[in-house]
Amino acid sequence: MSVVDRFGLVNENQYLTLYMPATGTALVFRVVSRVNKGFEVLDYGLLPISSGASLSSYTGTTITAPAAGTLPPYSYTGDIQFPAITGFDNVFDKSDIWHLSIDNRDRLFHVKVFVHPPIIRVDVRIPTGVTQTKFQAGRVVTGIDSATGFSRGFIETVHLPGIVYGYRFGNDTNLNLPVYIRFVYGEYIVEIPKNPELIFNILTKRTPSYWLTLPITYMDPSIQSALRDAYGLSDPWGFKLYREDEKDKAIKEYSNILKNLKV
Amino acid sequence: MVRWLFTVNGCATPSSSTGDFTTLTSPSVYGNFSYIRLPKGFKAKIWAKRLAGTAGFMLVINYTTDVTVSQPNWTAVDVEYLASAGSIELDKRRPIVIPFRTGNEAIKFSYSNATANSNICFSVDIEVTDEDE
Repeated sequence: MSVVDRFGLVNENQYLTLYMPATGTALVFRVVSRVNKGFEVLDYGLLPISSGASLSSYTGTTITAPAAGTLPPYSYTGDIQFPAITGFDNVFDKSDIWHLSIDNRDRLFHVKVFVHPPIIRVDVRIPTGVTQTKFQAGRVVTGIDSATGFSRGFIETVHLPGIVYGYRFGNDTNLNLPVYIRFVYGEYIVEIPKNPELIFNILTKRTPSYWLTLPITYMDPSIQSALRDAYGLSDPWGFKLYREDEKDKAIKEYSNILKNLKV
Repeated sequence: MVRWLFTVNGCATPSSSTGDFTTLTSPSVYGNFSYIRLPKGFKAKIWAKRLAGTAGFMLVINYTTDVTVSQPNWTAVDVEYLASAGSIELDKRRPIVIPFRTGNEAIKFSYSNATANSNICFSVDIEVTDEDE
């Protein structure tokens, strides 16, 4: 059975590896179950910006949204969370449907954001407000307002419990563009594998796993706190990647980490 | 890779035989616009054209390398001619390709040889892409 399904979401009893460049470590999960199997599409609707909202401009000024969900020419948003839509009133955080409580440590949201029109720039900041995309050893901060550090029309991430993510959107055409959001997501029930050799095999790519690099080039204290509270992790905040000939060292280190895990 | 297909419409009742369609609309765009400017690295591919109006109406697709200057230098890259009153629909096997290399380029749509005070309309299907093919 393949690691992912036709949506690119991780199948049950397959592994998900989240790599964090800031620490050179990874979080490894086994997807026990996908709660929304068969119902992965969430047509969210227009971008949650209101008519008259003040937006930043690529020309250095501010510019006003002419209508709800519409990005005016050469504008970009600040960090956006996706508020609860109709029927979602009981979510943990009404201002952000992807925000999981620390207590939901056995849950992950694997979210693929499809943006229409696909020429729209999109980036994600973990946590919200902290730019994580950088160029040349951090000399240049990139992102939605730069020449790079964003994608267009699509972005994929995994929401960890206890962290609010910030999505930003940009329009560098001369057109007023209504922006539509479709999510394809998996709500996974997960566990961290307890066998250090299995983790070593996953991180050396002997055992198949779906790898996703989280854009975390700076380990913000709020990320550390969430990883500690949700999973019981401490510095180095995950499993370090080792060479194949460093297996003994890796197994020893992984065993120590696994002793304190909460999930 | 980005591929976005959208339709642009323009109508006018010109008082003179030549001019620009200055009030363009699109179901994909809020409000009106008079030209299309895309980021550098993209191409606009015009796949289909529809014209309606009086005999002789000519749709001109214009391109400039710099729309930011006070008087852009527009060049016609394509002309379509309505031989008789009515409408015509042209689906192109090969699109008109317009590159955006600096991000200052733009496309606008003009009419020529129009009968004064007659209604003329056009629509085009434009694919915006950053792919080579």
